Amino acid sequence: MFGLINIYGMVMKATSKKVITREEWEKKLNDVKLRKEDMNKLVMNFLVTEGYVDAAEKFRLESGTEPDIDLATITDRMAVKKAVQCGNVEDAIEKVNDLNPEILDTNPQLFFHLQQQRLIELIRNGKVEEALEFAQEELAPRGEENQSFLEELERTVALLAFEDVSNCPVRELLDVSQRLKTASEVNAAILTSQSHEKDPKLPSLLKMLIWAQNQLDEKAAYPRINDLSTAMLEDPAV
Amino acid sequence: MPTSASASSASPSPSASASSTTTATTRTHSDLHARLTSSDSEIQLKALRELKNRIIGNRTKKLSFVKLGLVPAVADILASKVKAIANHESNLLIQSAAVLGSFACGFDAGVRAVLDAGAFRDLFRLLSHPDEKVVDAGARSLRMIYQSKLAPKYDFLQENNMDFLLSLLNSENENVTGLGASIIIHSCETVAEQMALCHAGVLKKLISLLEGSLNQRDASLESLATIIKNNVEAVSKFVGSESVKALSSVIELTKDRNPRTRLLACMCLIVIRNTVPCFLHDIGIKTKLVYLLLELHDDPGQVGDEASFAFSSLIAEKEDLQKLAFEANAIDKLYNHLQKGSLHPKRFEGILLALAELCSKLESCRSKFLSLKALNFVTDALNHDSPDVRAAACICLRSVSRSIKNLCAGKFMNEMIVIPLVQLLHDPCTSVQVAALSAVGNIVIDFTTRRSSFVQCGGMKQLVELTKSMDSTVRLNALWALRNSMFLAETTCKEGIFLELTASSLASLVCDPEPFVQEQALALVRNLVDGCINSVEFVFSEGSIILDAVGRQLRSASKTEIGIQGLYVLNNVASGNEFHKEAVMHQLIPQAENGMHSFVIKFLQSNDGQLRTAAVWTVVNLTFPSSPGAFDRLVKLRNAGIVSQIKNMVNDPCLDVKLRVRTALGQFMTFGDGST
Repeated sequence: MFGLINIYGMVMKATSKKVITREEWEKKLNDVKLRKEDMNKLVMNFLVTEGYVDAAEKFRLESGTEPDIDLATITDRMAVKKAVQCGNVEDAIEKVNDLNPEILDTNPQLFFHLQQQRLIELIRNGKVEEALEFAQEELAPRGEENQSFLEELERTVALLAFEDVSNCPVRELLDVSQRLKTASEVNAAILTSQSHEKDPKLPSLLKMLIWAQNQLDEKAAYPRINDLSTAMLEDPAV
Repeated sequence: MPTSASASSASPSPSASASSTTTATTRTHSDLHARLTSSDSEIQLKALRELKNRIIGNRTKKLSFVKLGLVPAVADILASKVKAIANHESNLLIQSAAVLGSFACGFDAGVRAVLDAGAFRDLFRLLSHPDEKVVDAGARSLRMIYQSKLAPKYDFLQENNMDFLLSLLNSENENVTGLGASIIIHSCETVAEQMALCHAGVLKKLISLLEGSLNQRDASLESLATIIKNNVEAVSKFVGSESVKALSSVIELTKDRNPRTRLLACMCLIVIRNTVPCFLHDIGIKTKLVYLLLELHDDPGQVGDEASFAFSSLIAEKEDLQKLAFEANAIDKLYNHLQKGSLHPKRFEGILLALAELCSKLESCRSKFLSLKALNFVTDALNHDSPDVRAAACICLRSVSRSIKNLCAGKFMNEMIVIPLVQLLHDPCTSVQVAALSAVGNIVIDFTTRRSSFVQCGGMKQLVELTKSMDSTVRLNALWALRNSMFLAETTCKEGIFLELTASSLASLVCDPEPFVQEQALALVRNLVDGCINSVEFVFSEGSIILDAVGRQLRSASKTEIGIQGLYVLNNVASGNEFHKEAVMHQLIPQAENGMHSFVIKFLQSNDGQLRTAAVWTVVNLTFPSSPGAFDRLVKLRNAGIVSQIKNMVNDPCLDVKLRVRTALGQFMTFGDGST
């Protein structure tokens, strides 16, 4: 009895789902008017935010899309990012201060993270004394101002206590990923200071696409985009 | 091996290494000064950059360099190069402006040093420099200065200044428009200034900047709020016909991706609503604001710290919004933030104040608060290092202790609360003292006998001490707390306080230079003489010094409230024995009839119903038929014109008054009152 009812229910559900054929779907898609310039802007936004300055320049020439930011500033921003990624933190700090002194003055968390990264680099290079002096002179006062900085500082200094860092519980601070994390934090802060969104628009649009498809799956069977890199429409499984 | 070797070389004398660092820093300091004052501009430039990179983000360094007098050296470079156009001179201008800006950034001692060095005007000169980078640097530094309270006030009412401000706002350069906004946020305070800005077209310009870049939008939202705050005309202009889209774009910005923009948009809407309550009245927007602000608390930075202050201003004094907030689980959400521990003092303060607002009116909020045991956080906060947090904790305690139910249960009269609270009455910071007094004021209205624990730890003594404070707000709140502690208290308790307070100082408080202190002192006396007949005797000690003071205040009463409290003192005294009643008559009707009207006539004719009630009531107590001297007093009252005045009041619009008037007339009748 129960089984029958269940099957009955499933059948009902399946039949209530609307099926949209490829033909219908493509016709509907064609009815949506998208301005070419808007698409170009989206691409430009991505190139600028991610810092692909050469590509942005080429794209500007080819498509005639004006970037919403001075391309020269991208070069500066990328130089800062690269400096952090290579471990030249002091250099990066000076570059940020030349770009806009306000960024690190009004962003204590970012400033602390850069100084912390500098400490990590000193430790990585075995400059123990210099590291201790730097921690005491530059980082300890920040720790006094903010409890969570103090905890992070203590974690970082713990790197010094281990002869073999591979056994150290905080060894991930020495990973490349830590540099990348710091670099992207600086990158975001520079973008914000330039009145620019810190994330490109394209990825969030793709997220919205996935969300919309998932919503639609409940109600209809339709040609779906499963592979975002090709954006091929795949026929619904009927 | 190498690690241990280096460790041993570092470890022998940590103090030695520390002191060597200090001397090294001092050396670079004096060296920097020499290079900044060098005649070689290359050397100066290098020194400026070095200084800049040392102080940015580092308050400690800023302070020590300010103390060493480096700011004037930098200001001198700026002053000497301000007219230069050659390229590397431009660089000197940029670097020196950047250094001055960094000294001024979030650091008042730095702002003062920059202003004292006379750099303010020179920085303004940079704004007309042909090199855009120089303009940027100048505008940024000025903005830093305007973010401090120490910045000189900008005079909008001077015509040239308004033109200059508009030129800033119209600039293509984002840093310059930002400066214009900062000037408005810093200096626009009065209604006249707000209106001048509106009429000059600043409002319009700011509305157009809402469509500008991300930074311009934020700056515009904040200055808009400044211009329309508490100004009905400006709000109407903003919301009204001139810019139909303005309001909807602000509402739209509450959904922005940037949390700071969301917060500023919310604050702008709150200002509109608080200024003109009929705007934004629909429940949808109110609920949305409540949820948005609660959500913004999750931001780990400054936005999260400021969200609770905005939330407080949204719900302050408004029961409907407090109810909405309660239904949105505001208490739980704020409590969860408290639970995270090690909060930034600003955030801690903000959350305590928000909880205080929530619990200020609704018992449901207070019950929720107490059921979560949030009171523990508040008692901890009473001992916090930051005076702002201590004051906020007191204010929160005051709100929660309005719960009569829990007050009766003695929930607040325990050592955990009373001891730190009494300590705060000695706090070096006046705002903490005042906040502590206001909390004490509620807690001492204890309907049981637990007042003693407060007395035992010296609370009463300190309250009396604070009535002698130089600060009138402290006197006021101390009197208010004492007044409450006398409320329905037993005679021994009153006696204790009275002995401590003394009749003469109570009399001089009744005659305090500040009217609101007078009112509290009178209210205290009113509670003192309320109750059994022995209590009435208090005002007769030291030759009736208190009663005379009350009479004096009534004759010269400047405020209705003073009249009301003073009359109730007489009222309570007049309910005593014959001697007491005669003493009141003595105050009421001047002995030597020198054509002076009794002040009672004036009060009977007042527009204030409460005052009329109190006046009639006093007469009722004086003419109570069973007391032997009543008839004599009635004759005197009639001669003073008081009886006929009361007869005119049978149809008083105020019910309370009408009722007392009937009673009085009834009593007059028993003496066969011949109105002839």
